[in-house]
Amino acid sequence: MPLPAAPCGGFFLLSQTPQTGRMMTASEPKLICRNVWKVFGAGAGEFLGVKDADTSLASLSKAGLVGAVRDVNLEVHAGEIFVIMGLSGSGKSTLVRCLSRLVEPTSGEILFNGENLLAASESRMIEIRRHQMGMVFQHFALLPHMTVLANVAFPLEVQGVDRETREARAKKMIDLVGLSGKENFFPRELSGGQQQRVGIARSLSVEPELWFLDEPFSALDPLIRREMQDEFVRLQSVLKKTIVFITHDFDEAIRLADRIAIMKDGSIVQAGTPEDIVLNPATPYVAEFTRNVPKAKVVKVGSIMRAAKSASGTGATVRERATIAEAAPIFANVDRIGVIDSTGKPVGVLHRDDVVELMMRG
Amino acid sequence: MPLGTRTISSAFGALALSAAALLSSSQWAGAQESTDPIKLTLHDWTGQLITTQIMGEVLKKAGYSVDYVQADYLAQFAGLETGDLDVAMEMWETTGRDAMDAATATGKVENFGPTGMKAKEEWWFPEYMKEKCPGLPNWEALKDEKCAEAFSTAETAPKGRYLGGPVTWGGFDDERVEALNLPFEVIHAGTDAALFAELESAYQRKAPILLWIYAPHWAPAKYKGEWIEFPEYTKECYTDPKWGSNPDAQYDCGKPHGEIWKVGWAGVKDKWPGAHKAIKAFTLDNDEMGQMITKVDLDGKKVDDVVAEWMGGNEARWSEWIKK
Amino acid sequence: MGAAHLTAWFAALAIFVLLWQFGEPISKWAFDYPKAWQIPLARWISDAMKWLVNEASFGLFTFTDLTRFIADIVNLPYRLALSLLSTGFLSGQGSSAVQILPPLSWIAVIAVVTLIGYHAGGRRLAAIVAICFGFLAVFGQWQSAMVTLASILVAVPLGVVGGLLLGIAAYRWPRFETALTPILDLMQTIPVFAYLVPILFLFGFGPTAAIVATLIYAMPPMTRITVMALRAVPSEFRDLGNMIGCTRRQMTWRVLVPSAKDSLMVGVNQVIMLSLNMVIIASMIGAGGLGFDVLAALRRLDIGAGLEAGLAIVALAIALDRLSQAYAARAGAPVAPASTGGLVARHPYTVAAVAVILVTGVAGLILPAVQTYPDALKLSTGSFWSNVVGWINVNFFDTFEAVKNAVLLNILIPFKRLLGGLPWLGVTGMLAFAGWRLGGLKLAAIVGVLAFLIAATGQWEKAMITTYLCGISVIFAALLGIPIGILSAERARLWSWVRVIIDTLQTLPSFVYLMPAVMLFRVGDFTAMIAVVAYSIAPAIRYTVHGLMKVDPRLIEAGRAMGCTPFQILTKIKLKLALPEIMLGLNQTIMFALSMLVITALVGTRDLGQEVYIALTKADTGRGLVAGFAVAFIAIIADRLISSGAARTKARLGLV
Repeated sequence: MPLPAAPCGGFFLLSQTPQTGRMMTASEPKLICRNVWKVFGAGAGEFLGVKDADTSLASLSKAGLVGAVRDVNLEVHAGEIFVIMGLSGSGKSTLVRCLSRLVEPTSGEILFNGENLLAASESRMIEIRRHQMGMVFQHFALLPHMTVLANVAFPLEVQGVDRETREARAKKMIDLVGLSGKENFFPRELSGGQQQRVGIARSLSVEPELWFLDEPFSALDPLIRREMQDEFVRLQSVLKKTIVFITHDFDEAIRLADRIAIMKDGSIVQAGTPEDIVLNPATPYVAEFTRNVPKAKVVKVGSIMRAAKSASGTGATVRERATIAEAAPIFANVDRIGVIDSTGKPVGVLHRDDVVELMMRG
Repeated sequence: MPLGTRTISSAFGALALSAAALLSSSQWAGAQESTDPIKLTLHDWTGQLITTQIMGEVLKKAGYSVDYVQADYLAQFAGLETGDLDVAMEMWETTGRDAMDAATATGKVENFGPTGMKAKEEWWFPEYMKEKCPGLPNWEALKDEKCAEAFSTAETAPKGRYLGGPVTWGGFDDERVEALNLPFEVIHAGTDAALFAELESAYQRKAPILLWIYAPHWAPAKYKGEWIEFPEYTKECYTDPKWGSNPDAQYDCGKPHGEIWKVGWAGVKDKWPGAHKAIKAFTLDNDEMGQMITKVDLDGKKVDDVVAEWMGGNEARWSEWIKK
Repeated sequence: MGAAHLTAWFAALAIFVLLWQFGEPISKWAFDYPKAWQIPLARWISDAMKWLVNEASFGLFTFTDLTRFIADIVNLPYRLALSLLSTGFLSGQGSSAVQILPPLSWIAVIAVVTLIGYHAGGRRLAAIVAICFGFLAVFGQWQSAMVTLASILVAVPLGVVGGLLLGIAAYRWPRFETALTPILDLMQTIPVFAYLVPILFLFGFGPTAAIVATLIYAMPPMTRITVMALRAVPSEFRDLGNMIGCTRRQMTWRVLVPSAKDSLMVGVNQVIMLSLNMVIIASMIGAGGLGFDVLAALRRLDIGAGLEAGLAIVALAIALDRLSQAYAARAGAPVAPASTGGLVARHPYTVAAVAVILVTGVAGLILPAVQTYPDALKLSTGSFWSNVVGWINVNFFDTFEAVKNAVLLNILIPFKRLLGGLPWLGVTGMLAFAGWRLGGLKLAAIVGVLAFLIAATGQWEKAMITTYLCGISVIFAALLGIPIGILSAERARLWSWVRVIIDTLQTLPSFVYLMPAVMLFRVGDFTAMIAVVAYSIAPAIRYTVHGLMKVDPRLIEAGRAMGCTPFQILTKIKLKLALPEIMLGLNQTIMFALSMLVITALVGTRDLGQEVYIALTKADTGRGLVAGFAVAFIAIIADRLISSGAARTKARLGLV
């Protein structure tokens, strides 16, 4: 469901290729990560270099090594929100830092727009980070001695953008995140949620193609967190960035993700759409997370509809991308609903029994 | 400070300052006298301030520019050797000899001769101690055990306690006690200030004390007391064991009267020949100095005023020093 | 603590006692280090120094030229500050100089510092600063204080910038840090007197040399704090810097240093305090100022004048300290958006300051009282303090004497004899053993080698006297300081008073109370001990208070919930958790005690301090530095052992 570009966000879209929607289907992968390892400890490189080395956790720790990221493969498509979810110590923060080479991976390949980042020179990396990447931090990392405006303009200042231009752009960002009027405040005078808005504005000030968010809402109170998530969805609907979002909160992952990768002990145990994961947890570990998730809020109509021969149905219709929870109230009067796609073309029928059964499962 | 020239010379590395100390006389011979200020050192006791400021005033009358620099008595030699400092007006035989010898041995420091003042340095006791030790000031009275005990403290009892100067002053008091077979223990004060602090304390309480005192100084004027009369010092006493009451030991006599010397940078002679002459000619005697110190330390007058007074009263003398 | 651990300690101790009690007849060399084996380090150093001063050359220019050039550069800002504050701008030199422009008048200086105070910390701070500077004027310390202030104003920025740069370099290149750490240790622990002579030769006699000496002494804490502060910057800031593509320079100066500002200000504060500590010594080599006044007054035994000059130093210290702290706190506070009004509206403080300077400058030409504080209005305590000391002396001397004798005969002298009789070999072995148990082989090697070097350079006996004097003083300081700290930690009002007292004790030149102490306790170890305790008690108190205040309140709450009595909470929870901090305080107490050594030589102790002092009087660089190194080695041994012990305790308590 493409939204019209909001006027204020207009100029970000210039650098964006038009996207068809949140569900990515055919677009190019923006970021590809192949066999990436990050092993801490002396001699890690040699250890991995041995052909057919036993790289189990146990044998790593026997060699005095810590495998923070183990053989990770993933693809992030342009315009999608890719959430990496894991508990603390699962390696998700190390992984996201590997993706931008803040942490040097021990081995593997990271392709960004087809360019291997691990082969890039330091100056090339600086170039890429300056213009194509942005990052939001868990504890905001706002420079305490600068005003909101200066903080947001800081990445541009580092690039040597002149004062007028950068402040104008920073001001737009501040408007975008809803902090107009707070330009001359210092970070410590703002609430946590406001501070993170500054962090978001700052990470967007260079108009990055690839946007990393490292547990951006974890340090916030639950209510504020909720509000910020909504804000984030709103922003993304305008900006259409390619996003790698780190969280330890499964609910947050479900709420925001186009696709989720679940990490444990440095490896990805399962990756897929929220629905996939909720409906078919690959391991008991994943099932632990999904057990308490109300499936109706995750599963889309399209997933459990039945193919319909006749397009007519009962009159009431629902879009295939709506969740079951959204569709449920319609069953008050009927036991079958027609399903249409985003263009309004009928694609199937949703049966009451299927919905009930799903909801019974939790 | 000749700042500009100094910077340039250093920058070019051509004129090392240490080398400036060794400038051959030919470079200055026949040249005009330098207009740089002559730097005189000031130390932390009144007598020296007076001596130095009299010298300074005299040099000013002769048309020289003068700068006073506060400096430590012993650390100043580092400056005198390099020409950072020019003149030190009081270098006491007892307390400064070693440092002075070491400095003159380098050839960069010159001894400008005696000031005319003689340092008297000897064991001293307050007058009220005569009651407890009737034989004083004769040194033999100290041999009496009762007398020694009167000077004792808990740490030294039954021996008497003699408070010597800082070890850096030398003075051979440990040797003297042994040579003269005195029932005393020598305790060294760390500094001159500590020495007089103890005296002040004892004097306030009329408590026993025997210590090293020197003159010219305000103490002999402020406190009533006397110097111990040891056998008169001779050179032989310090070198020949046979001399004196103890045939097996040196130092069985009193302390010598030490000169107080004027010293300075060896380059003064060539840089300011006239001033050099005036400095060498400068003399004062113990009595005038004693009076001036008393005026400052005990009567609370300012050093400047006392110096001005002296300058007014002794014009004939100092004009002689700076005569061309 | 396992049983094996205890057994090892016990065995080592047994061997030590055996060697000590029965070893002398068999191995005399283990007790007195044989002269023939001595390393002639003193001679080597003296020769090296001579070469450096007289011959060392880089081709175009000599080493001395280089140092003199540095001295000239440092001299420029100093001259400027001095002209501004004290002498006025002069044309010509020496006594023939003519004043072109007078210095800032006393009113102008007070007004300006008060404005700065108001700018930094509001009305309260303005009042404090005004009182401090007012004190200087009213008590007739103005002239000297301005001379001292001029050298502080040069030394502090140099120390801060130098320390910061070194710290950044150490942070960036770990290898540089490895090389720098022992040098910093030496800079901090070698008594200043030990390297005064070479500095005078290299940098010339005068304020510049004094500033260089001050820098050597005051810079290391800034460097250490910089490294620590940069390390403590949360890793997110580094990530941020990298993410937005900072160059290294941008990372350092735009991200890391500003983020570490709060901690860095602690370093600035230390530099100010330590620079003021050096005022006395600096005055001995031509810096003049308040230090000189203190020395001269005490040579006259004018206790009142000495105290007034000493308190003037304290007043300067308080003013500068509070100002720097206020600026630190203020960093990050909101600034009103740049108003668009005229010059006055945009820079009200600068305009006010300039106005005051101009008005008083002109007024000063007509009214001398505006330019120079009138003599008639000066106050002085005169002979009051001398009389107080005299009165105490006359009435209480016997009591003091009895106390002193009891302590001296029962504690000091037996302890001194005990230490003097220990074999150097045994002590070195024991220290190495302790190093091994507390920190492993590397520590054992460091401690052992340093202790051996003390013996091998012929300093053992004096080092033992030093250890005795410092040891006893540290014990007393701890016995007094820790309880005071415990009491103060619970009572905010008491703490605020105690803080003023220990600040004063730390900045008041010890000479000021040393002479009255000599009057009451005579020359000797006891007096030295009092001076050392008075100075080194400050960290014992401070760290105890900080340690106790830092204890997690939740743990105390938990203790209370379990029904602990206040005494149990104190002993079972607070003190236990504060122990590592208290041990660090003890460590600092030792460092402070050692730094007082040279001063104790002034009251006639026969330790390394005296050795350094004698070397100074004989201008013997080698001898002074060797003794200085011995002091530094003692300090480093104590520091390393205690730090390892504290780290172990911390680990055991799970605080890391």
